[in-house]
Amino acid sequence: MKLSLKASQRLWTFAFLVVPLSVYFVVVIGPLLATAWLSLTNYTFSAFASPEFAGLVNYERLTGDDYFHTSLKNTLVWMVAALILPTGGGLILALLLHGRVRGANVFKSLFYLPITISMIVIAQTWQWMYQPDWGLLNTLLKTIGVEKWKVFWLSTRGLALGAIIFAWSWQQVGLSMVIFLAGLTSLPGEMLEAAQIDGANYRQSLRRIVIPLLLPSSVVVIALAVINSLRSFDLVWVLNEGGSGSSTLAVQMYRETFKSLRAGYGSAVSMVLFAIAAIIIVFYFRRVRRLEHLYD
Amino acid sequence: MTRLHRALVLLLVPLLTFGAVASVVAQEEVNISHYFSGELNQDNLNTIMGNFTESSGIGVVDSPIGHEDFKAGILAGVASGVLPDVFSYWAGARVQFVVDAGALQPIGDMWDAAGLDDVVPAGVADAATLYNGERYFVPFNIHYAAFFYNPKVWAEAGIEVPDSWDGLMDAFAEFEMKGIDPIALGSKFRWPGQFWFDYLLLRTAGPDYRAALMAGDASYEDAEVVRAMEMWQELIDAGYFVDGANAYDWVDAADQVANGQAAVTLMGTWIGGYWKGQDLVPGEDYDFFDFPEIDMVPQAGVGPIDGWVMTTGADAASAGALMEFLVNDVDAQTLWNTSFGSISPNVNVDPMAYDVVAAKAGASIAAAAVYAFNYDLATTPPVAECGLDMFSAFMDDSSDIAGTLATTQACAEEGFMQ
Repeated sequence: MKLSLKASQRLWTFAFLVVPLSVYFVVVIGPLLATAWLSLTNYTFSAFASPEFAGLVNYERLTGDDYFHTSLKNTLVWMVAALILPTGGGLILALLLHGRVRGANVFKSLFYLPITISMIVIAQTWQWMYQPDWGLLNTLLKTIGVEKWKVFWLSTRGLALGAIIFAWSWQQVGLSMVIFLAGLTSLPGEMLEAAQIDGANYRQSLRRIVIPLLLPSSVVVIALAVINSLRSFDLVWVLNEGGSGSSTLAVQMYRETFKSLRAGYGSAVSMVLFAIAAIIIVFYFRRVRRLEHLYD
Repeated sequence: MTRLHRALVLLLVPLLTFGAVASVVAQEEVNISHYFSGELNQDNLNTIMGNFTESSGIGVVDSPIGHEDFKAGILAGVASGVLPDVFSYWAGARVQFVVDAGALQPIGDMWDAAGLDDVVPAGVADAATLYNGERYFVPFNIHYAAFFYNPKVWAEAGIEVPDSWDGLMDAFAEFEMKGIDPIALGSKFRWPGQFWFDYLLLRTAGPDYRAALMAGDASYEDAEVVRAMEMWQELIDAGYFVDGANAYDWVDAADQVANGQAAVTLMGTWIGGYWKGQDLVPGEDYDFFDFPEIDMVPQAGVGPIDGWVMTTGADAASAGALMEFLVNDVDAQTLWNTSFGSISPNVNVDPMAYDVVAAKAGASIAAAAVYAFNYDLATTPPVAECGLDMFSAFMDDSSDIAGTLATTQACAEEGFMQ
C-alpha cells in the first residue's frame, strides 16, 4: 500500500517526534506529575513509608509556615532584583561597549566570562570575597582604614540575601550584555543617522530610538533573568545554605525534601515555584507573540 | 558463509569476548561512596583502597561526596533504591534509620569468620555495630570532641589550661580582657554548634536524660534543656564567641585558633587531621582539654564513630572482603587513623603510632563513663534537622530561649512521627 504524500509526511513527523517526546515525558512531564501527586500526599522520604493521599494539607500548612513566607518573599525580591541588576547592568555595559571602543572585544570577553563558569565555582569565588577575616571585600575596607566596619556579609540578616543576589547578578550581567549587544548591532543605522541630522543628541536618540527598538532583546533578557532567579539554589546553598534569612523557594524545596525527608511538603513548595514559573513563561510567550505581530 | 557474515562474526567475537571479560571484571568490583573528601583525608583513603585492590584483586569504584551533601544524597539513594555496594556512615541513629528502611544487609557472617570480636573492643562493637540484634556496621575510626587550643597562645597569655567549669569561665574572661576571642565557632553549616548543646546538656542533665531526649521520650521544653540553653546564652551574652559565628565554617574556626585569634574551639579530633595537613605539630602547635565537669553526673565523651555498611544489593563476598580489610588490616587502620587524628577501633594498632594528641584522645575516650554520639547522629535525621536549625538560629539570636525550644519541640514531634 502506497501512502499519500501528506500521510507519509505525517508518519515521518510522528516518527521523528516519538523519541524527543518520549524523553521529554520521562524527564519533564513524568516528574512534574509525580511531584504534583506527591504534594497531595504525606510522603516522608524514606523507603519504608509509602505515600498516602492527604488532600491539600501540605498547601494549608504552607500558609502558616514562616520559613515558607521568608522563602517566598526572598524569591520575589530576587525576581525584582533580576529585573533591575542584570538587565540594567547588561544594558549599560552593552551601550558602553557597542561601536568603536578601544579594547571592546577584550572587555566583552571579560564580562561574558562568568556566564561560562559553573555556578558552584562562582559560589566558591564569592565565598572567598565575602569571608569576614581575609575576604576581598573586608580586606578592602581594612586597607582604606575602616577595619571596624568588618561586615559579616553572609550571616547578617537583611544583608545576606542582598550579598547573594549581587554575586548572582555579577554572573548574569554578561549574558544580558551579549543579548543587548546583539540587539544594538541589528538596529537600523539609517534611523539613527536621520535622528542625528534632525538634531537629536545622544540622550534623545537613546530614549526615543535605541531603547524602544531594544524591546525584543529586553523581553528575552528579562525573561531569562527572572527564570534564572527562580532556579536560585546552588549559589545560595554553597554560600550559606539559606541561613540568616536568605532562603529561597528552591532552597526550601531541597531542605524539606532531602534534609527533613518531608517529600510531600517539599513537593508542595516545588509546585508553588512551578506555578510562579508557569505564570512568567505564559506572560513571556504572550509578550513575544505580540512583538512578533508588531514587527511583522 | 558470505563475506558480510564473516565480517559480522569477526566483529562480534571480540565484542562478546570483551563483554564477557568486562562482566567478570565487573563482578570483582565494589562500588563505594563516602564523605571522606577534600580535607577529610581523601588522599589516604585512596591509598588504602589501592592497597586493598592490590592484595585482593578486587577493584574499588570510588564516588566521594562532600560531607554535608552526603547526608542528603545517601538518604535519597535509600528512597530510590539506587545505592553503592558499600558506603561510609555514622554509627548510631543514622545507621538505624537505613537499617529500618531495609537498605542494608547484615554482616554477621563476615564478622564471625574474620574473628572481628577479637579485633574491635566489645564496648565499641556493641554501641556501633549492632542494630535490631544484628551486625551491620564495621567501625573505621573513632573521633572525640573536646576543646582544641594553641598551647603557645595560652602560654603567651599566661593562662593555665582549666580543669573545672569555673576555671574555664575565668580563662575565657581573661582572654576576653586580653583582646583574644575566647571561643571560635564556625556554625555557617550548622553542625559545629551541636557540640555545645551536647556537652552542656550531658554535663548538666546527664547521659540518661540526653538519651531520652534523642529518642523522643523527653521534651525540648523540659527544664533540663532550658538550663543547658541558658548556660549557652550566658556565654554568648558575655561576648565569648567570635562575632558572626554563622559567617564561618569549622575550618575558619580552626584557623582562628591556630593563628591566635581565638583561644579554643569545641570540635572533633578530625581538626588534628586538618592541622597536620597545615604542618602544625601535635602537642606543640595544638592540643586539647576535655569539656569540664559541671554537675555530678556521669561524665560522657562525645563524638562520631565513622564506619562502613553494606547495601542489600551488594555481592556479600567482595563487599564483605573490603569491609573486613578496612577494619582488620592493621596497616590500613594505622595509616587512616594516624593521619586523620582519630582513634582506631582495631586493638592491634600500635598505640605508639599515635601522635600525643590522638593518644590523649584515646585515653579520654577510655576514661569516659559513657560514649555518646553527637547530636545529629544520636537522633533521627528528620529530628536532627530541627536541632541543627535551632543551634544555628540560636547563634543568630539567643534572646528567646522559650520560643526557640517550642519551635524545636514542635518540629521534633513531627520528625519522630516520620
